Amino acid sequence: MNNTGGNKIRLGIFVSVGAILFIAAIYFVGQRQQLFSNTFNISGIFKDISGLQVGNNVRFSGINVGVIGNIQQITDSTVRVDMVINEHSRKFIKKDARAIIGTDGLMGNKILVISPGVSGKQVIANNDIIETTVPVSMDDILLKIKVTADNAALISGGLSDIVANIHDGKGTIGKLFMDESFANNLDKTIVNIKQGAGGFKRNMDAASHNFLLRGFLKKKDRKEKEKRENEDK
Amino acid sequence: MPIDLKISGAVLEKGSSPGVIPLLNAFKSFFAAVTQLSLFAWRFLKEVFKPRYEFSELVKQSYLIGYKSFPLVAITGFIMGLVLTIQSRPTLAEFGAESWLPAMVAISIIREIGPVITALIFAGKVGSGIGAELASMKVTEQIDAMEVSGMNPFKYIVITRVVAATFMLPVLVIIADAIAMYGSYIGVNLKGDVSFHLFFLQVIGKLSFTDIFPATIKTFFFGFAVGLIGCYKGYNSNNGTEGVGQSANSAVVIGSLAVFIIDMIAVQITSFFT
Repeated sequence: MNNTGGNKIRLGIFVSVGAILFIAAIYFVGQRQQLFSNTFNISGIFKDISGLQVGNNVRFSGINVGVIGNIQQITDSTVRVDMVINEHSRKFIKKDARAIIGTDGLMGNKILVISPGVSGKQVIANNDIIETTVPVSMDDILLKIKVTADNAALISGGLSDIVANIHDGKGTIGKLFMDESFANNLDKTIVNIKQGAGGFKRNMDAASHNFLLRGFLKKKDRKEKEKRENEDK
Repeated sequence: MPIDLKISGAVLEKGSSPGVIPLLNAFKSFFAAVTQLSLFAWRFLKEVFKPRYEFSELVKQSYLIGYKSFPLVAITGFIMGLVLTIQSRPTLAEFGAESWLPAMVAISIIREIGPVITALIFAGKVGSGIGAELASMKVTEQIDAMEVSGMNPFKYIVITRVVAATFMLPVLVIIADAIAMYGSYIGVNLKGDVSFHLFFLQVIGKLSFTDIFPATIKTFFFGFAVGLIGCYKGYNSNNGTEGVGQSANSAVVIGSLAVFIIDMIAVQITSFFT
């Protein structure tokens, strides 16, 4: 093979494409990490950063506006987190904005979420320190779940005792469900009530035909009829 | 009094099993080969910066080694991205994490699979080619003829090929990675509907410099190893025409092994800094 001009051009294009792809990858990854845009720095002081790392995203109103630039332990209980934020977002972040550490999805990376401040407040300045909110850690959630589980265990224990009492026929509900004599008595009571109701009905029919009450009942029927007619109109 | 038995250069002490002899011989041959290869590499490093530079031959070899390997590498890269995406989808779908597919495939390809698979393909095509070409030149005494005519055959034959292999493999890997990502995009869209812009953002969103730079740097070493081993095997070929086949074969086998060993070392070094 001779080094013809065509081969040299092909080789040049081949190498150039590789170089352009590499530079483009560097550019886009760098752009995401705010390397090629105007930025400003703000910081937050946290007690616990929950595994936040340098390079994690900073999110504002659900938009990635920057990255974590540096993390520094200041004292035994405070950690300073420096954020590199895109200059375009500065006008939206107020002095009273708060930062909280969250997670990107259920299994995603840690992120730092900035909640917007009050709209009337002054815009944040370079190197300002913003307020932070203590994130709810997984340990706290697990502790609360444990308390809830303990309570559920107590409740289920009580329920178990109640069911056992019912099964043994103890107490009102136990007698209701398990005592046969109680059920028989109840049955007889219902029969008596039915019989009493039948007798009461006969007495009332007789009373309605009595001449002392007939006038009163007719007057009542007439009033009801008039009322219905008025409603129909 | 101990009796020493010398068989094929290996020393067998009294009471040793005869099965040890081939093992000892293999060890001896291995370390001798490592020494020879190291001396060959040292000679390369001494002569690579010394004039006279064979630029014309370097361009020719870059064309043959790099550009001519492009179609094979491109097809491999495309299939790699497509297959990895299709195979990964069911597992991610079980966790409801299908949206992670582009990022996962991108990180897998750019960090590891792209460089290693491309380097293996490169070792198969270029390593065997260099080994067979140089071995046949040795057999037909072309290398001796160069020496007699006052040329430096090592500079003209070895250095140009090793340098071309060192610089062409990274280019091939970068292009193969890009093609693999396109294959992955098609793989994602076989059972889904993701726009190219969203796919691109998902890929770039999860990549970092620690994914790109170490993966690219190690490909220079892969290329160097494949080129050097191919040249070493061809340049030191013997056994006549039979040796041509042996040189080509061992250039591929040792070159591929070297790729894995370098990869293992590169991963260990990278993990120190990340």
